[in-house]
Amino acid sequence: MTTSAAEPIGTNYLTAGYTLKSWLTTQDHKRIAILYAMAITALFFIGGAAATVIRIQLATPAGNVVSAETYNKLFTMHGVIMVWFFLIPSIPATLGNFLVPLMIGAPDLAFPRLNLASWYLYVFGAIFTVGVLALGGVDTGWTFYTPFSTMFSSTHVIAVVAGVFIVGFSSILTGLNFIVTIHKMRAPGLHWFRLPLFVWAQYATSVILVLATPVLAMTLVLLALERVLKVGIFDPALGGDPLLFQHLFWFYSHPAVYIMVLPAMGVVSEIVACFARRPIFGYRTMAYAIIAIAMIGFMVWGHHMFVSGQSLYAGMVFSILSFLVAIPSAIKVFNWTATLYRGSISFEAPMLYALSFIGLFMLGGMSGLFLAALALDVHLTDTYFVVAHFHYIMVGGAVAAYLGGLHFWWPKITGRMYSDAWARFAAVLLFLGFNFTFFPQYLLGIAGMPRRYYEYPAEFHTLNVLSSAGAVILALGYLLPLLYLAWSLRHGPQAPRNPWHATGLEWQTHSPPLQENFEEPPTVDHDPYRYGVPEGAVRAKRHRHA
Amino acid sequence: MRRAEARTYLIVWASLLALLGMSVGSAFIPLGKFNVVINLVIACAKALLVIIFFMHIRRSTPVTRFAAGIGLLWLALLAGLSMTDFLVRMF
Amino acid sequence: MATSAHAVTDTELRTEAADFGMWIFLTTETLFFGVLFFGYLISRIHFSAVFAAASRHTDLLLGTLNTGVLLTSSLTMAFAAANAESARKRPASRLLAATAVLGVAFLAIKAFEYYVDYAHHLVPGIDFAFAAPHAVGAAAFFWWYFAMTGTHALHLLIGIVIVLVMVYRLHRATRTDASLSLQITGLYWHFVDVMWIFLYPCLYLVART
Repeated sequence: MTTSAAEPIGTNYLTAGYTLKSWLTTQDHKRIAILYAMAITALFFIGGAAATVIRIQLATPAGNVVSAETYNKLFTMHGVIMVWFFLIPSIPATLGNFLVPLMIGAPDLAFPRLNLASWYLYVFGAIFTVGVLALGGVDTGWTFYTPFSTMFSSTHVIAVVAGVFIVGFSSILTGLNFIVTIHKMRAPGLHWFRLPLFVWAQYATSVILVLATPVLAMTLVLLALERVLKVGIFDPALGGDPLLFQHLFWFYSHPAVYIMVLPAMGVVSEIVACFARRPIFGYRTMAYAIIAIAMIGFMVWGHHMFVSGQSLYAGMVFSILSFLVAIPSAIKVFNWTATLYRGSISFEAPMLYALSFIGLFMLGGMSGLFLAALALDVHLTDTYFVVAHFHYIMVGGAVAAYLGGLHFWWPKITGRMYSDAWARFAAVLLFLGFNFTFFPQYLLGIAGMPRRYYEYPAEFHTLNVLSSAGAVILALGYLLPLLYLAWSLRHGPQAPRNPWHATGLEWQTHSPPLQENFEEPPTVDHDPYRYGVPEGAVRAKRHRHA
Repeated sequence: MRRAEARTYLIVWASLLALLGMSVGSAFIPLGKFNVVINLVIACAKALLVIIFFMHIRRSTPVTRFAAGIGLLWLALLAGLSMTDFLVRMF
Repeated sequence: MATSAHAVTDTELRTEAADFGMWIFLTTETLFFGVLFFGYLISRIHFSAVFAAASRHTDLLLGTLNTGVLLTSSLTMAFAAANAESARKRPASRLLAATAVLGVAFLAIKAFEYYVDYAHHLVPGIDFAFAAPHAVGAAAFFWWYFAMTGTHALHLLIGIVIVLVMVYRLHRATRTDASLSLQITGLYWHFVDVMWIFLYPCLYLVART
């Protein structure tokens, strides 16, 4: 590949081949990241369409937009698509794929062809699952609890489970690729404690992907087998144990939420340091906290089963461990706050998203503590309190961070700047819309409104209306970036190498990067986040306060 | 390939077959719960022979060896922690 | 690891990366199979006496023979990889072929066992019949039996295909360095063998007295 020191625009990874074939057979991690981004965006809006119908249905107590059966299919497909086809791949497969090699000074991932295979597996799995939608959907809930899913549901359970199995394989291979890359391909001088926290977060996420997903894969196989043979392994009426399924399912599905949130935390660290012009407070502690979250996150799954018939003894053990896992998360929130303190803060769009994350993740996380308490959980479980809890983390947290990361690295990925005014407007809209949609759901849950019900008593009407109205604003907050980001591709001003004056190897190279990433393999001789030191002090001078 | 290496492989193979014979044989001796223990120990011995001499795990880096072992550890976590439920409910 | 003082050669890096990558994959497979072992364990505790009764219906002779076949295939695989390392393509190729043949032999014996089980009404969901009070527990045993051996057989089949692809590549390739590919293939093959090493006592050596 030719390199040109004088003018980067002509020889970057986007211009190195314009044919469809060059994209569909690429081994370039940056192109694969873009392929993923397009795919997950499409799936996000499909999942969002399901949510839209749900909120329309729930706008009135005796909602008759859809039947009860259809409603079950809607929340199931919303969950399946959002969990496996959006949240889990989102940051790792897009931002992770694009940035990890750049951040460590490598020319690509360890196994580029495997990376492309991962994308094809994702697409193949997505086709299965969206195909199931066309066949009428599935009504078991995204959790596929037995014996309903194995013995009684008359929908296409095996097809959707096959789709999830395939996409699971995709994420295992991605995790494998990242682990080997981060261990083996760091630039000279880049030892572990000089890595950006985004890389630490990707690494921990990859470890979870590799250790948790295989368990889900086999659990789904067993589910399918049971559905065919109907022996009763998971059916209490036939002498089986439905909790066996639940233990196996949640052993994956709880760590899965850390797959969703850890990369988001990595993004937030990068953004906060940059827009506060300060090194991350307590860098090593932050790295250790990431690892601790990943590890302890594997030990708490029973908190999804407090009222399922699990032994009380197990309930107590899982309750204590669930409280424990909150500690490293809290430490991260404290450290971000400490980073902001006395920082030189500016409120560009990425920072608005990062600050949203901190606040909303904190609220969502604290509500998790309520749920971890056994006695409280008896009242709150399977109510809208839980729905609000995980949406605060997944949407208020993970999606906000994904959008923040997208806005932060957009100039690097595309070589274009977007309109910061529109971006800030969209970020604010998202924050407001999100809170209007989901805060009422905490109250609904406490008041006793159950989840997964297609209708509800009139006393819950007002809060539901508020929630549905908020969803309209939220939807707008999602649609706007589609518009102004797309617009920027054609009309946005060209981006310099480092528009935010950020630290990190990815900002030292061209925007957009060359196909081989770096003209010469870089070496690293300093710690990350050298903000507030002479080279990084350009903006600090302008914003200095007395 | 040196003769020493070839000899090692053949000795390992012979040992594996011998261990197989031992586990079949012991299955016919009524030792109650101990049968299970013997079978598991023999299986572990066979597995270790394969992992060490056929898979050459000693040639791998320490990180790789750690990665190889953690699968088993994680299974133990799954089994162990779920036992707080199963053991209590089933007995 | 990559920041040590000496310059890591490209080949060294490639080898270490491939080895590391395959072991990580095998760890995922350990967990994949591990769920089967765990579920089997729970069912066995739950249905204990009945499981024992049902376990006697597996074919000890064929199962033991199959174990011998697979252990021997690991031997031929190890020899094949060692020959490739010394760039001896012909012996490597022949040993790979022998490995594949042994793998196919295993599958053939397994298929025969399955057929006999079917004929004896021991396939759950397909005309299953067992002494009345024990039907559920027995069905559970055979459910796990087919899930475990079926998963294993599928992995073995994939292994056979990979081995045959390696034979083809050895014949076709101008470059002589197949040693890394065979090393990695070997890791997968031996792993499938290790899985059977644990499956065998669980499914064939229970309650034989």
